[in-house]
Amino acid sequence: MSSPSVVSTKPSTGERAAAFVVKWGFVAVTVALILFFVITEPSFRTVDNIFGMLKFIAPTAIAGLGVMLAMTVGGIDLSVGASAGFAVSIAAWTMVIANQVGGVAVSVVLVCGLLIGALNAFLIVVARIPDLLATLTTMFVIVGLKLIIVDGKSISSQMTLSNGTTAPGKFTADFLWLDRGSVGPIPVPVIIFLVVTVLLWFLLERTRWGRALFAVGTNSEAARLSGIRVQWYRTAAYMGCGLLASVAGLLLAARIGQGDVSAGNSLLLDAVAVALVGVSVLGIGRPNAWGTALGAVLIAVMVTGFTMLGLPYYAQDFGKGIVLLVALLFSFTFSRRRTVVTAGSTTSSS
Amino acid sequence: MAIFRRAAAVTALAAAGILALSACAQSSTSSEGAESTSTAVTASAPLPAPFDGDPVKVALVRQSGAGDYFEAWGAGAQAQAKFANIELQVTDARNDNAKQASDLEQAIASKPDAIIIDHGQTDTLQPLVTKAVDAGIPVIVYDLALTDSTGVITSSQSDESMASGVLDQLIDDVGDGAKVGYVSAEGFAALDRRAVVWNQYVKDHNLDVVFSTGKVSESTATDNIPLVDAALKQNPDVQAIFAPYDEITKGTVQAVIQNNLQDKVKVYGIDISNADIEVITADGSPWVATSATDPAAVGAGVVRALALSLAGQLDETDVQFPAKTITQQFLADNKATNVTELRAAEPTLKLDDVVVADWLPAVSE
Repeated sequence: MSSPSVVSTKPSTGERAAAFVVKWGFVAVTVALILFFVITEPSFRTVDNIFGMLKFIAPTAIAGLGVMLAMTVGGIDLSVGASAGFAVSIAAWTMVIANQVGGVAVSVVLVCGLLIGALNAFLIVVARIPDLLATLTTMFVIVGLKLIIVDGKSISSQMTLSNGTTAPGKFTADFLWLDRGSVGPIPVPVIIFLVVTVLLWFLLERTRWGRALFAVGTNSEAARLSGIRVQWYRTAAYMGCGLLASVAGLLLAARIGQGDVSAGNSLLLDAVAVALVGVSVLGIGRPNAWGTALGAVLIAVMVTGFTMLGLPYYAQDFGKGIVLLVALLFSFTFSRRRTVVTAGSTTSSS
Repeated sequence: MAIFRRAAAVTALAAAGILALSACAQSSTSSEGAESTSTAVTASAPLPAPFDGDPVKVALVRQSGAGDYFEAWGAGAQAQAKFANIELQVTDARNDNAKQASDLEQAIASKPDAIIIDHGQTDTLQPLVTKAVDAGIPVIVYDLALTDSTGVITSSQSDESMASGVLDQLIDDVGDGAKVGYVSAEGFAALDRRAVVWNQYVKDHNLDVVFSTGKVSESTATDNIPLVDAALKQNPDVQAIFAPYDEITKGTVQAVIQNNLQDKVKVYGIDISNADIEVITADGSPWVATSATDPAAVGAGVVRALALSLAGQLDETDVQFPAKTITQQFLADNKATNVTELRAAEPTLKLDDVVVADWLPAVSE
């Protein structure tokens, strides 16, 4: 570092390598893993399997995109798994017990998702409870509420109700289409996953609202001073998250085909992991839609590939943990150095 | 500064490399683990087709593999598969039914030689089972109720033999026409099958059923105590209680002891676990008989049924694994205080005469 002009115009080899790894390292690992499985496992490279993996991960990815949205305003949502589970039971209740058609169930579930998001926003924005605690509380409240509504039971067609009669409805074919249907060769959940990703990418990267969301997340005071209605954006982000969690729940409900009370339990950790991985992918260093989608794909590839290799589930957890660790190293440890370098080149002129 | 930057780059590259390598490293350890399983039993005939060439690929799609029972079941299946040159690809949904549906879907997509489904929800899995059958993949299910089992081999532990074994013991102990109580719940496939046997015994032996109660919940054992307690207060003269599910049995036993009736009332249960054996062998326990299968032997049995079917040697489409009745006296005589000791004391639990062939003896450990 003999003179500052050299640093700013001509980065050293190490610096360029670091920047390269931060930007492409994750993509490279994903591609390497995919190549490895493609070469070693013949059944991995079939079209069926590729769509199967994307379909399997779609609910996690969509819930992860919800968490990503909460992260844009500097928050987090721990209630996504519970919201998805709530959606499963409510969808089942609407169709099986209230005997309504699939469209009604979808509407009821989406409204519930928005309401849960609104509850989170109220607790965080109006009641000023820290986001981690507020959404943790919401998680307990809606899990409990769900169990109260369904008497703690998994709702299935032909079940006996408390008054001795048989439940009148069933999961309708149009509702089950959400998971079991496909457009051409592409399963419906994969289409929903792609549409949500593209919409969020467009919203965040191509519109004024997206820039405002990031402004709120980076420095809410500065955002407020520049005329952004901070509280409205935070409310919108949490409501969007609630909505996406309930979409994930709809897909789970259609996959399970009954109101399984345990559904959604395993979703939260994967969704948060996917959103965190998304921050680091491509070295963007902030929540983004394509990164989150790629993180979800990586998890699907790992779970499927490891299963084909015959690894037990706990080894898969270990693999997931390592991936998350590397992702966090990329987004915090290495990119902070990069930030330091950038700052250094402007201030180290002495 | 430059050193730091270089260190960061090297660490990042190394981390990425380790991640990529970990996949290969872990896969080799797992296959070594499978190799080390030793088998004491030997076949008296060579393996027939399709087991005499490359390993036969079978997907085992499980609802859950956690807990003593399911661990043992999986280990038994794995041991038997190894013996028959079957390569098991196991997925474990950890009680996440959506994951199990995905697992099964991906198993079908990977076109294995056969699929084993262990437990699951009917509504969730039935469409996929049909899809697998349509795709020409042989399917065997264990303890999964199907609405359409065309082309599928079904298997379960025989609830019929479990219930009739302990009920024979009950009749031996208290005789025809005795005053009895019944603690169970409706709407669970296994319990419903046991109820059919119970109703038959009540009719055949003129049993006087003075109460029927019970439920299955998140905490079944605890929740049944107040129900049985109330029933006992009303009918303290009951001689025997049939509680055909170990969680319910435990609650019933607790209620009997609470009412200080353990000398007058005998309890008959179903299922066995280390915790159950502790309750049965406790001083003055009213739980006098239970019925059990060895999960490892059952897991192995399911794999044998599939293997026989692939070799074209299985005649039935529904395979039942018989249970053994275990009395309090038997446990005391053999000083069995856990399932391992029980297995040693009662070798028929190994199921070595159920769905076997000269090339396929029972191997569960």
